[in-house]
Amino acid sequence: MSSSSGYAVEAVDVKKTYGGVSALKGVDIRIPQGSIYGLIGPNGAGKSTLFDILCGITKPTSGTVNVMGMDVAALPAYEVARRGVGRTFQRTAIFGHSTVYENLLYASYGRMRHSAVHRLLRLPVWREDMNTFADKARDVLAVCGLTELRDQLASALAYGIQRRLAVAIMLMNDPKIIFLDEPVAGMNEVETADFIQLLRAISGRRTIVIVEHDMAAIGALCDEVMVMVDGRQLVTDAPERALKHPDVVAAYLGASDDELV
Amino acid sequence: MTESSIALKAQGSRGVVPWKQVLLLGSVVALVLGIGLGADSPFLLSLAGYTCGFALFAVSVNVMLGGIGEVPLGHCMFFGIGAYAPAIAMNHLGLPYEAGILLGMGFSAVLAVLIGWLTLKLTGAYFSIVSWGLSGVAMVTALNLEITGGPLGLFGFTRLAIGPFDLSDPRTYFFATAAILLLVLIVLANVRSSRFGNALESIRQGRHLAQSLGINVFRERLKALVFSAPIAALAGALCIPYTQIVTPEVMSVLRTVDALLAVLIGGTGLLFGPVIGAVIFTILPQFLQFDPNVKVLVFSLIIIFIMVVAPGGLHQLFKLIERRLEKRSEGRA
Repeated sequence: MSSSSGYAVEAVDVKKTYGGVSALKGVDIRIPQGSIYGLIGPNGAGKSTLFDILCGITKPTSGTVNVMGMDVAALPAYEVARRGVGRTFQRTAIFGHSTVYENLLYASYGRMRHSAVHRLLRLPVWREDMNTFADKARDVLAVCGLTELRDQLASALAYGIQRRLAVAIMLMNDPKIIFLDEPVAGMNEVETADFIQLLRAISGRRTIVIVEHDMAAIGALCDEVMVMVDGRQLVTDAPERALKHPDVVAAYLGASDDELV
Repeated sequence: MTESSIALKAQGSRGVVPWKQVLLLGSVVALVLGIGLGADSPFLLSLAGYTCGFALFAVSVNVMLGGIGEVPLGHCMFFGIGAYAPAIAMNHLGLPYEAGILLGMGFSAVLAVLIGWLTLKLTGAYFSIVSWGLSGVAMVTALNLEITGGPLGLFGFTRLAIGPFDLSDPRTYFFATAAILLLVLIVLANVRSSRFGNALESIRQGRHLAQSLGINVFRERLKALVFSAPIAALAGALCIPYTQIVTPEVMSVLRTVDALLAVLIGGTGLLFGPVIGAVIFTILPQFLQFDPNVKVLVFSLIIIFIMVVAPGGLHQLFKLIERRLEKRSEGRA
């Protein structure tokens, strides 16, 4: 099992084809437990496909994918989430019509045990759930700097704050591994710096996997990056070395100059 | 969602009496008693009873519309099953009305599992159209079976009573349906602020995010349908004392459309929004003596007007007034 081998993610020869188009042409990836791992590459390199496969949303055409000791290809996406895999989305996913606190309430579904009958009769199971939730929510709000905004409507928050909320939502389930899809995209410099600090604060013993175009953020956060091009891995190394690798430079020059910082 | 925020506030001040809810409940009970004891006309009382039954159907429709954001055009099928079950039970099986109600609710729940299994992978217009089609099948079936009385339907019922309460007496009918409606609303309020209710709300707002939080989206949606179907069936059964006849028309999609209009008038966001809508929707035409076609026209105009003025439904206006009052009392304090 990967957890005993020291790897949070171990995927071998992962392939994915959509109709006749092959998005992944056999990728091997090993992500050490507790590390912050970056997935980079030009548009269309297959990052997002690999990302979705790792968190169980998309099923691979072939290959084995082991995340935290489970075969995610064989489990439905909600089950993968229940077993400690958290993710955020590229387009900020929050419950816009609800308050920050309600967002966290919906997010703690997996940690709650009460049924509607328990709620109706105000039974202890429900009380315990609500108390556990209140404690957990207080901690998560504090870590994410959202305590003051508790009763604000989520859709009314600034963009950077909404991304923090998305992280807070994910943290309610205490995930062991976190997948972040372009977390700092669209943020200004101050927001990005704040967000990097937040990610450092929550990393702890968690494994974090990031897909990102912002190379400064990748450099500041990641222990290791995998550069992907055209459905294959190109280089896997520490960020500063990987970004200087001649193949990587060539691949990016083919895309656009300003993507390399 | 406001219910859960109220619930959260109530939990925040643990041990304190939730006076707002008590006040609301008290005024609703007072209103029911006022109508029930004050009105003398048997016609008005049975109309009020029917209104409660229709409101119950609107509430059931809103479990789908306000709950998971689907338009359940075929919901009239469950209403129809609820109406046919006691009629068949009384006229063919020699069972009492109450037993028929329970049979109808049970059957509609089982059917909801099967139908939901087939249709709830679909969303939006696709779900609506398929469920509409199925209700059409149900209507044709009722039209052609012998046990349902064919196009003439079933009538001439023996004793329409729930326990000691004889529903052929208009006043008892009104009190019984109002009490049942209130009970269902109380249960629903608790369901909405439970784990299940939270799951539905999160699915309605964002199914992918909900899934990433470990929620089995399909199963929760199925549960919503299975939960709402028996409420619709109960509503169908409670309308019999008013209509005195059950014909295949009860399964007409127009019934769902009526309920949807009522829900939209009252507002999907609030628990008793559909009830407000149902009251307006049944009482108004009776007094203004509308032709059915004129009725549709008038209500369409009302809907357009409400969508412009208060997109969340009439209850939004009540909320506005409530907020004004709260601000004023804060200003004084």
